[in-house]
Amino acid sequence: MKIFLNNLLAIYRRELQSYFSSPFAYVIAVVFWLIGGLFLVTILLSPNGLIAQVAAADQLGVSPQPVDVPYEFLKIYLNLLGSLSMFILPMLSMGLYAEERKQGTLELLATSPLTNWVVALGKLLGVVTFYSAMLLPLLIVELVAFWSSEPTFPAAILLLGHFGLLLLAASVLALGMFISSLSDSTVLAAVMTFGVVLVLWVVDAIATSLPGPIGEALSHLSMLTHYTDFTQGIFDTSGLILFISYILLGLFLTAQSIDTLRFQRS
Amino acid sequence: MIEVDQLSKSYGSTVAIEDVTFTVEPGEILGFLGPNGAGKTTTMRILTGYLPATEGTARVAGKDVHAESMAVRQSIGYLPETPPLYPEMTVEGFLHFVARIKGVAPGELAEKVTSAINRCNLQEKRTTIIRKLSKGFRQRVGIAQAIVHNPPVIVLDEPTVGLDPRQIIEVRNLIKSLAGEHTIILSTHILPEVSATCDRVTIIKRGKIVATDSPERLVQRLTGKGGYRLELRGETERALAVLSSVPGVSDAQLLSTEGLAAGHARFQVTTGAEDLGSAIAAQVVNEGLELFELSRNRASLEDVFIDLTMEEGTAAVDAETVASEKPVAESTADSTAEAAEASQKPEDSEGESSGESKGEKKDSAETAPLPVLDEEGAPTAAFFEQDRNATSQAADPQTVTESEAAAEETE
Repeated sequence: MKIFLNNLLAIYRRELQSYFSSPFAYVIAVVFWLIGGLFLVTILLSPNGLIAQVAAADQLGVSPQPVDVPYEFLKIYLNLLGSLSMFILPMLSMGLYAEERKQGTLELLATSPLTNWVVALGKLLGVVTFYSAMLLPLLIVELVAFWSSEPTFPAAILLLGHFGLLLLAASVLALGMFISSLSDSTVLAAVMTFGVVLVLWVVDAIATSLPGPIGEALSHLSMLTHYTDFTQGIFDTSGLILFISYILLGLFLTAQSIDTLRFQRS
Repeated sequence: MIEVDQLSKSYGSTVAIEDVTFTVEPGEILGFLGPNGAGKTTTMRILTGYLPATEGTARVAGKDVHAESMAVRQSIGYLPETPPLYPEMTVEGFLHFVARIKGVAPGELAEKVTSAINRCNLQEKRTTIIRKLSKGFRQRVGIAQAIVHNPPVIVLDEPTVGLDPRQIIEVRNLIKSLAGEHTIILSTHILPEVSATCDRVTIIKRGKIVATDSPERLVQRLTGKGGYRLELRGETERALAVLSSVPGVSDAQLLSTEGLAAGHARFQVTTGAEDLGSAIAAQVVNEGLELFELSRNRASLEDVFIDLTMEEGTAAVDAETVASEKPVAESTADSTAEAAEASQKPEDSEGESSGESKGEKKDSAETAPLPVLDEEGAPTAAFFEQDRNATSQAADPQTVTESEAAAEETE
């Protein structure tokens, strides 16, 4: 167990180091912050924004019920961040194994006393940590915005939403890691991951067009549906289990794919 | 330390290696020699647990590489063909990482990393980012990575490929300094490398082992049947008769008269194992023939290699031709100066070339990339002279000097 943790830590630290020393990762982060910040400002403050809308409705006296602006905002904002992440995450996961294959360092990992699982898990933790670091500044901005809300917005809902976002990201990254382990081309990995993620993202739209139990089963696999629950402050264990299943599936497939690589090599 | 028993590996219908069997004793350096694509890398990858074998077993330190893979991996340091380096890490950071994943206890990390850095002479590059290192330094980091956890077995796949001659010497010295406490397998397709560094050589051809022995003994296989080469002036028929009349000579043949001064001819004399050089020289001079050159046929590892890796049938002929063409330095009257210059250099594989083209070749030898089978350019030759194992190659200048002396005597 101690060896396991030691190895995991070594892989994790190396992975983190490679993200934090990569100019490309910073470019991705900056783009993410820029667009994320833009969403925030647009939703809240633009002439068609949430605050303006609610204020207009109040003035006209057409809204019979008071609107919970922070809650409404969070729902919209987290959904937008989720969509944005769909574009960003494949770019974070694309190099996880493809880069190792290209550099030949996979041979080092595969001939070290490490199991494929430890490597995959360490890498996944590394990239999830980097993504969390990307979320952090946005989270701070949100906290500042909610600080002044009246009545005070429960932080638990905010955090639960972000926890959902992290789970979603980890699932996507785990699948992206598997796809990255399939080839030594990072671009191919990014494109394929994006395709797969898109399908899983809108799978409930596909499911509705399919009749019977197949459609029903498919709709349960949708990341979107379960993520939306989280953004609304609903903690649903089925969602948690779904995301964890995706993560484990990604890890499993990655470990298997690295293992089969040994048999295919010519 | 390493026992490989009837190892076979095929990719689909392609057979990469077949029935490979060899052992390596503790502290030994085994050279794994073969042309490109012979299955060297495959064998090494099986040994390191990177690839599973189709059939057969390989054991490292008594443990099966497949069944006890984790234990074996811990006791092996492996440098693949391309050094596995993370370009964004510093040398020290990278070695720390490797030491960790190889299972070095956290308390010993700093010490082990420092010792690997010192052994590979990387002190000045300690905090440099690997991306910025030159090829030679990267190769050294690659070796440092293989030895950082102080493994009993080190597997090096073509450790000197792509390095300049000076770096090659450094890397070879480094490898030799590792022998004794480490057991080393080294793959290469460069012959002098084997005679310069290895205790034993395994020659592999198309996935099969064709010979395993010490470099010296492999060479002896070919030199067991001795022979001499002469350049004479005089009647050809008579010369042949004279040469055949020397006791112990089994055969004398005319090789060629091309490219030689008028009346000169080259002969090939086949003898038994005994040294007949002086007897032949004496006989020739006594009979009034003019002797211009006398040299011993000297097989090198190169000949053995060509002999063993050529197709059967053609092999013997080719090896003989190469053997007989090798140790030649011109000492014809009109190009003595150039010949003297050329004789400083051990040999070119093209024995027939004239003194002038040798002069040219000398210049190009320092800049040209090292060819596969002929690595006798000046820089590396200097290295062999210091080396005990390379006597077969390095002795050639001596032969030339002897033959020149003989020629002078005659005149």
